[in-house]
Amino acid sequence: MVIKNLFSRRTASALLLTAASATGSQLASAELFNTGKVLATGGVSMIDGAGGGGITPWATITGYATRDGINGDVHYTYANLPNYALNSLGVAVGFWDRFELSYTKQILTTGSTFNTVGLVTDTTSSAGGGAAGEATTAGGEGDESTNPGIEPFNTTIKMDVYGAKIRVFGEAIYDSDNLIPQVAIGAFYKDNENTDLLKTLKANKAKDWEAYISATKIFFPINTLINITARYTSANQTGLTGFGGPDGNEKEIRPEISIAYLLRKDTAIGMEWAQHGDNLTGESVQLGSVDATEAGPALQATGLGGLSGTLTQDESDWYDAFIAYFPSKNLSITAAYAMLGNITITPEQHGFYLSLQASF
Amino acid sequence: MKSTLRNIVISGAIALATTNSAFAQTGQTRTLPGLDSDALEQWGGEEGIRNWVESLFYYIMLDNRINHIFREFGNIERQIFLNTQLEQLVLGGDVEYQGASMEAAHADLGITVTQFNAVVEAAYNACERINVTYEACNQLIAALAPYERVIVTK
Ligand code: HEM
Repeated sequence: MVIKNLFSRRTASALLLTAASATGSQLASAELFNTGKVLATGGVSMIDGAGGGGITPWATITGYATRDGINGDVHYTYANLPNYALNSLGVAVGFWDRFELSYTKQILTTGSTFNTVGLVTDTTSSAGGGAAGEATTAGGEGDESTNPGIEPFNTTIKMDVYGAKIRVFGEAIYDSDNLIPQVAIGAFYKDNENTDLLKTLKANKAKDWEAYISATKIFFPINTLINITARYTSANQTGLTGFGGPDGNEKEIRPEISIAYLLRKDTAIGMEWAQHGDNLTGESVQLGSVDATEAGPALQATGLGGLSGTLTQDESDWYDAFIAYFPSKNLSITAAYAMLGNITITPEQHGFYLSLQASF
Repeated sequence: MKSTLRNIVISGAIALATTNSAFAQTGQTRTLPGLDSDALEQWGGEEGIRNWVESLFYYIMLDNRINHIFREFGNIERQIFLNTQLEQLVLGGDVEYQGASMEAAHADLGITVTQFNAVVEAAYNACERINVTYEACNQLIAALAPYERVIVTK
């Protein structure tokens, strides 16, 4: 019935659109464009671009459109971690409070993290034997197949994220007299450009999809929103360091939870947790044909040993604590403290996160 | 995983079955979780509710998205009187509601969810206007929200 409804609505709107294009675009925008949701109930944009919290997609459809129309938003998110900076810039559109489409470009600058490794590979490969020892075999300058994808400075990871989400059943907001949550299913397709670096990190794939199911409910008597998501994925650090590991690319179900407390009609605070995998945990960094652990003595000899004590990778679950402020339906500002733990070879990646969403 | 999902669905179904009575406007709305036992006191009782309903209609009539509906089909004085009864009732007040059911009152109006939400925004503005706390305001929001299922017909 819902599906039928949706289709008749869509057909009706499509007809309207056709009619409107004949009589002028004014009518089309009046009929299709909609900002009828109550302030803040469209949520914010999570880093992958879907409507949700900060790191977790929710069952809510992005933007301020009710089932009477369409609304979209653009978002920019910046997270500043000790060894990385994440920039995420994207656009998303919600259709009839039923489905949403999103596209996001993520740019992760790795700061000093890989600079040393990059320098060592550069140095060892050009220095020939001597101090570089075994690591020389990793060099192969100009040889594409052994390019570690790490520049001496400013190695940058870029990823395109395409998202789609469809609301399946339930009411997050109005049905305060039952516990049935609003449920949506969605998927991302992620295309990481840095195939060389991902090889170095021993990830199995640079492009992959992930799917999720989310359940969201607002409990007005206690001013609280709860979202529970199960994501089916093999991502390492959401795909920023690829998918899968040396043992292959098996997807698994990972839970994520967001809890928000509504302080005012325009302000919410909360916390999130997202379980991460361990595909690359315990793996060293692969520099061409040689493991970086074997190059350890070389790193020591070149005076670059103190990188992080180890070149062994690790991955932690992600946590964040946030405050989201909605000054109007056109803008939301989310500030958070992100606790991302171990990222590749660097521990304790905790730092501030700022996300802006403009709705149009 | 499967059994917890089934539990959620079952408890949801029970909740649905037990709260149908809310639509007959005979008592407090059974929300999950439940309303504060002193919800009506947080509102300052009958007088607080009437102040809110009056400012609610002030904001409704200022909103060009919906005021035309009330101008054409409404009877503001009667609606203020009846809403003052209804809002006390759904918060647990011991009063009688003398108006039509929500289904009957709104059946012919073709109200959209966008228009319903405009009234919700007026409701929050009215709470702020009469200095009812956001938390107390959400008690009433929770108590009235399920009426969306019968009021929105378009
Ligand atoms: C939970 C939200 C709402 C509540 C609690 C509510 C409550 C009421 C009540 C108590 C009445 C009087 C019934 C009677 O005369 O016996 C009424 C009538 C009316 N309501 Fe609502 N209402 C709600 C939402 C809306 C919305 C969203 C609209 C339009 C945008 C609307 C428009 C009207 C109109 C025009 C009437 C007068 C109908 C008539 O006299 O024939 N109401 N409502």
